[in-house]
Amino acid sequence: MSSLGGDFSRNVFINCPFDSEYTPLLRPLLFTVLFLDYNPRIASEIFDSGEARINKICSLIKCSKYSIHDISRIQSRKKGEYYRLNMPLELGIDIGCRLANEGILKSKTCLILEKDKYRYQKALSDLSNSDIKSHNNDPETLVLQVRNWFTELGFKKAPSATRIWERFNEFMADFHEARGRDGFKDRDFEFMPVPEYLDFIKEWIAENIRQMEPKA
Amino acid sequence: MAKRSASSSPKTQRVHVISRQDGWAIKKEGNTKASKLFDKKEAAVEGARKLSKGHDVIVHKKDGSIQRWERPEKNA
Repeated sequence: MSSLGGDFSRNVFINCPFDSEYTPLLRPLLFTVLFLDYNPRIASEIFDSGEARINKICSLIKCSKYSIHDISRIQSRKKGEYYRLNMPLELGIDIGCRLANEGILKSKTCLILEKDKYRYQKALSDLSNSDIKSHNNDPETLVLQVRNWFTELGFKKAPSATRIWERFNEFMADFHEARGRDGFKDRDFEFMPVPEYLDFIKEWIAENIRQMEPKA
Repeated sequence: MAKRSASSSPKTQRVHVISRQDGWAIKKEGNTKASKLFDKKEAAVEGARKLSKGHDVIVHKKDGSIQRWERPEKNA
């Protein structure tokens, strides 16, 4: 399948911005995926090596049955600012991967998130009639949409979105306290590499959740 | 506001003030449900202080990150 590997049926390719402005949404997004016992795969896990970024992104897409694409940040917001094309490009690669392949890759499925339900149609009209979920830039709503998507895919005993949200808040307290003990300040939290943050979530879930919550 | 000390309460006694659709909830850690819902955050913080009975109150921002951590003074 891919040199990056992992469990295809539990890998979730995450296509979203990785800047500080998106952090309030990225954190609960990654937490929710891990809480439901799936494995988020992100481009920044491969930043360190020399291979072309696009090749590695394609590898991540190929080794992930699921994908979550957040296209809420593609619009430029001030004069002279470029709109951001990475997210729609990677969404297109993902859809193409499913349509152009046979076998296991045909089973790929994706969730597309936007800020407002119909805004995308102005820039990506080819996606009209696609099932796009809006999060309204609200972290709690994002948790609800991601959780409900997994439920629609067959995760019948998923904890409620409210429970996941509350657990996420408890996690953030432990995250803040533990890292604070290690000398982390606000700036360190803000610019913490995503893989480091993911490791902390995994550790916390193993210690606090996994024994109690149902698995898909 | 409670004063801060170096140590924190056992996790099961911490009370969180958490964003909830259209309002704020207070939830004691370990309980399965929120204790009470409020329209205003400051009212939720006050409710959390009462519920905490001298233990930590953790006030979250709307994105779940920590706005303020109120730790009671250690008993003499």
